[in-house]
Amino acid sequence: MAVCSTTTLSIGGSVFSGQLRHWEPNESKLFQKPRSRFRWLCLNDLHLLRFRTKTLNFNPRGSLLPSLYAYGKEADDAFLSKVNEDTDEMFDDLMKKYGEVVFRKNELAVEMAKVASDVKAADIRVLFVKPLVYWSRFFIIATAFSRPQIDAIGSRIRDLAEKKYGKVPSGDAKPNSWTLLDFGDVVVHIFLPQQRAFYNLEEFYGNATLIELPSETQPPFHT
Amino acid sequence: MIQPQTHLNVADNSGARELMCIRVIGASNRRYAHIGDVIVAVIKEAVPNTPLERSEVIKAEIVRTRKELKRDNGMIIRYDDNVAVIIDQEGNPKGTRIFGAIARELRQLNFTKIVSLAPEVL
Repeated sequence: MAVCSTTTLSIGGSVFSGQLRHWEPNESKLFQKPRSRFRWLCLNDLHLLRFRTKTLNFNPRGSLLPSLYAYGKEADDAFLSKVNEDTDEMFDDLMKKYGEVVFRKNELAVEMAKVASDVKAADIRVLFVKPLVYWSRFFIIATAFSRPQIDAIGSRIRDLAEKKYGKVPSGDAKPNSWTLLDFGDVVVHIFLPQQRAFYNLEEFYGNATLIELPSETQPPFHT
Repeated sequence: MIQPQTHLNVADNSGARELMCIRVIGASNRRYAHIGDVIVAVIKEAVPNTPLERSEVIKAEIVRTRKELKRDNGMIIRYDDNVAVIIDQEGNPKGTRIFGAIARELRQLNFTKIVSLAPEVL
């Protein structure tokens, strides 16, 4: 069932309005296209807001109406949806425009993964999510087998971050079946095995590039 | 501005479709809940054959409201409906995927789990 709603954004007095369409996975193929994209662009500490609402309104008679631009200046695609059929096309477009996405190897992320493997966490993955998500750079996903182990991993990672990098995380203080530590550009997810299968974050961020860890921490590959 | 008796839609695939707020969590006489607040709600409508059923009391976290959300830079966000995401006692979302846009204020309020499941963050 499709839910149609309008989001009104007001910036400094002027109002932009666009049609936001919520797409649910059990919708038929016909309803796929409509989605809206928003993007923040940071240039030299100045936050430049570029909005581009592109939606295709579904006409009851069957034809698709042209897009509604709230504030159209750029022709490039903005945000990527994570799990979507045209994601490959979008990636190709972005690659052509911006070339290879270059990232500096984040030592913090790799070191945290190493710490997690020292505590015998299983299946550690480090995902580079910057092209998908603007609010973070790396996700570390690990599985722990008991709550005390989650506590141990969490406290070790916290100590490492505080001593070496001076970063204090926000997130879960008490161990939880899904414990999250948010260090700003690195977000650590520690799951219990059932939770990991239940939430399946790797599938949701399937388009993120996997960072290779040093061989001792290499997780056993399984699809 | 969500208060008891307010009906909200659900933005995840937990199985519920509509909730009614019965209490705002926070101070004892708290009147309204906004984006980023936890409420106690009862399920008014649910999808059949899911773990959640009608008239079950659960906790939910508000993600979209018709009342505008103001930011320090002057930006105002106003959605078209009141929507919540069902969470459990530990604060983990009950559903596995979230639909629609989420405001980034949720990250500062320690709901990064919901933000990490969201398809787009405004």
